[in-house]
Amino acid sequence: MRLVATAIGGAICGALCFGIWPEMWKTYGIMGGWITAAIVISICWYMNHWLGIVWNEPGRIWVDQGWAVSSAGIVWAMVRFNSQFRHAVPGVLCCLAGGALAGIAAAQVKKYHPGFQPAKAPSNPKEDAGV
Amino acid sequence: MFEWAARYIDWLGMSPVSVVTTVFGAFCVTFVVIICWSRLVEDFGAIGGMLAAGIIVGTFWVMNHKLPGFGIHPEGIPHPDGGWKQFGLIYQGFRGASPWVDMGTAIGAGLWVCGLCGIPKGRKLAMAAESVPRLAAAIAGGAIGGAIMGLVGWTGANLFGYR
Repeated sequence: MRLVATAIGGAICGALCFGIWPEMWKTYGIMGGWITAAIVISICWYMNHWLGIVWNEPGRIWVDQGWAVSSAGIVWAMVRFNSQFRHAVPGVLCCLAGGALAGIAAAQVKKYHPGFQPAKAPSNPKEDAGV
Repeated sequence: MFEWAARYIDWLGMSPVSVVTTVFGAFCVTFVVIICWSRLVEDFGAIGGMLAAGIIVGTFWVMNHKLPGFGIHPEGIPHPDGGWKQFGLIYQGFRGASPWVDMGTAIGAGLWVCGLCGIPKGRKLAMAAESVPRLAAAIAGGAIGGAIMGLVGWTGANLFGYR
């Protein structure tokens, strides 16, 4: 059932993004796009990841609603504008490569950067309090 | 050199400079999301996450996906090559004829790879396999939602003379 919930959350997020974003941009320009991110992504994140409609558990690989937005963008344009899937492949591959590189880099940061280490007994309680 | 790098490659649908900007834009947004979003949630709770939606995704939308034109004149600036010049870092291939390539692809892939890197050795394959059904459900759900949203172009309504 949680897989069904994941699909429903993804469908709502994808439909919201591509129903609202182009229209807001066409109406209000750059600021419309920014505001759309604030209103659409925030409520979708709250539903999908804060309340947990998209199935994620601690200690497992994170599945993000970004996947749903990605597939929604491609399918939306294919249905609405008759564009061909093969035309999206180079761009998607570039995005996957950039995202994967950032994932590796961020994993290294989380592993070695002092700001991301789990809290341990502070050597100087005054400075480290509350970390 | 820039002219050589900016030449349009037919089979790729983009120029080498577009490959560079696309990979860089995808890298930037994904890195910031992975590093900042979880910390904002830790610091401010749900408000932090909703704030992050605006200040991270909104800001990087401007960098990655903004289109030419301004406000109520969205038709864009015509380009001598035909089509419109693109100003976003993530290039929509084949001079904008490709289906929409979203930075969500990069964010999803980055979080997946980051999660894979954080899993201890020996369990990586099992955990990757475990994530596949959830991944497939998210992608299928997005495809259904996007397809239904795309149907509004085919409803045949001709409101206010709009074609």
